[in-house]
Amino acid sequence: MIQLFHVSRVFPGDYAALSDVSLAVKRGEFVFLTGPSGAGKTTLLNLIFCEDQPTHGQILVDGCNVAQLRRSAVPALRRKIGVVFQDFKLLPRSTVAENVALTLQVVGIKGQERDRRVRRMLAQVGLEHRASALPPQLSGGEQQRAVIARALIHDPLVLLGDEPTGNLDPVLTIQIMDLLCAANARGVTVLVATHDPALLGRYRKRTLQLDRGCLVLDSEGTSANRRAAQA
Amino acid sequence: MIANGAYFCRSALDGLRRAPLLHLLSVTAIAFALLLGGMSRLATRWLDSLLIASRNQLELTIYLEPTVSEQQAGRIAEQLAELGAPARVISAEAALRRLRLELGDLGKVLDDLPRNPLPVTIELDLPASMRASAQLSPLLARAKAIPGIADVDDGGQATAQLVGVARALRFGAAAVFAIAALATVLIVAATLQLTIYARREEIEIQKLVGATNAFVRAPFLIEGLIQGLAGALAAAAGLAAIARLLGPRLNPLISFVADRVPVSTPRPLALLLELTIAGGLLGVLGSLAAVHRFSRS
Repeated sequence: MIQLFHVSRVFPGDYAALSDVSLAVKRGEFVFLTGPSGAGKTTLLNLIFCEDQPTHGQILVDGCNVAQLRRSAVPALRRKIGVVFQDFKLLPRSTVAENVALTLQVVGIKGQERDRRVRRMLAQVGLEHRASALPPQLSGGEQQRAVIARALIHDPLVLLGDEPTGNLDPVLTIQIMDLLCAANARGVTVLVATHDPALLGRYRKRTLQLDRGCLVLDSEGTSANRRAAQA
Repeated sequence: MIANGAYFCRSALDGLRRAPLLHLLSVTAIAFALLLGGMSRLATRWLDSLLIASRNQLELTIYLEPTVSEQQAGRIAEQLAELGAPARVISAEAALRRLRLELGDLGKVLDDLPRNPLPVTIELDLPASMRASAQLSPLLARAKAIPGIADVDDGGQATAQLVGVARALRFGAAAVFAIAALATVLIVAATLQLTIYARREEIEIQKLVGATNAFVRAPFLIEGLIQGLAGALAAAAGLAAIARLLGPRLNPLISFVADRVPVSTPRPLALLLELTIAGGLLGVLGSLAAVHRFSRS
């Protein structure tokens, strides 16, 4: 589903956020991306959903070469991906339901069908009673659940999480992780960036570790990943 | 895109609510440009009416050689009629009586003249269909060739001057409107750019969830359109007020120049439609410029 071939991202001033990273994530897999702050986790996620472009290398998402994508083709790629941001990125003047519906607005799903799917998704994340609340009126956990609802409502192929539990207490962290696992159980490929070792210990999933821009560990080291690494 | 029409409209109205003063500035600029355009449109229309009226009231006068008698004048009139121009002979006495009437109180000075200085003349009663220059010019050329005719006064010089004034006014009005329209587009673009800047976070989030440029731009185009329509309504109200204030003062002037000829004024609905289309275009052009500049940045 996601393949990186010798990907580097060098920022002005010769700062290499990623150096020659090659990896492969299979369809339906749940993978943790870990490493200390500044290891390149967010940069890698940004490259996958085309928020940034690699300096070198190629990135394939569902067979589409992201590194060579025209600007006009970026929206179509992003509609295949759901993203959960650490800082939520919710529209502060729109209600929870409107925020969640935004993803469906973008793909052109009409009124009643849209409302039905929003209600169902809010129920799944336990926010149906907060549908008409504004984001500033929500707790951190509720805001993160709203973001997950927005990221999953259009049935994406891939769900990217950038420290989705970074600001949450342990109870809320488990709630959020359970939602991500449930999405994965429905077939969504999940890639979660985290630097929380407790999370890695609790959920025994494949782990990719980055350090100073280099991929230093793949917990499974499957043959597919070795092939990608050797490519 | 159509499925999202309600969302775009809501978003546009929300944008208008967020910065009402900024949008009021755009609406005022659009209204001012349209008011200028509408006033020049009315002025040129009135001038056109005057031109048509002056053409219709044109008196074609044939001046005869001083030696031509009234009998000879009658034969010349018959020749003119054969050319398709019904003519009537005005004797020297009749011409003097008419002049005395036209001069009113001053007409008494004519009584002191030792003899009638006016020659016999012929007036042509041309039907309206023959007053167009394409028909009139060859007729007048053939009339001038008839022996005994000294000159033909078709009032062409006065009409030509009026046409020149009308043309200059029309060109000037178009130039002023073009400059005002350009300035308006720039003002609308600048105000909308501020709105876009204020909503850049919202735009970023829309793009992160896969919104196309068209999706992001649509609410701003609607905002521009709404500004344009509001400006058009304000301009229409302004024009109606001006017509109400100036109309009673202008009508006697127009009646004086073009006696008994109805002056053509645009129908209110047609004018409103024109203003609405022009206002909408100005607003949409301004917002297109703003979103284009934002997309490039």
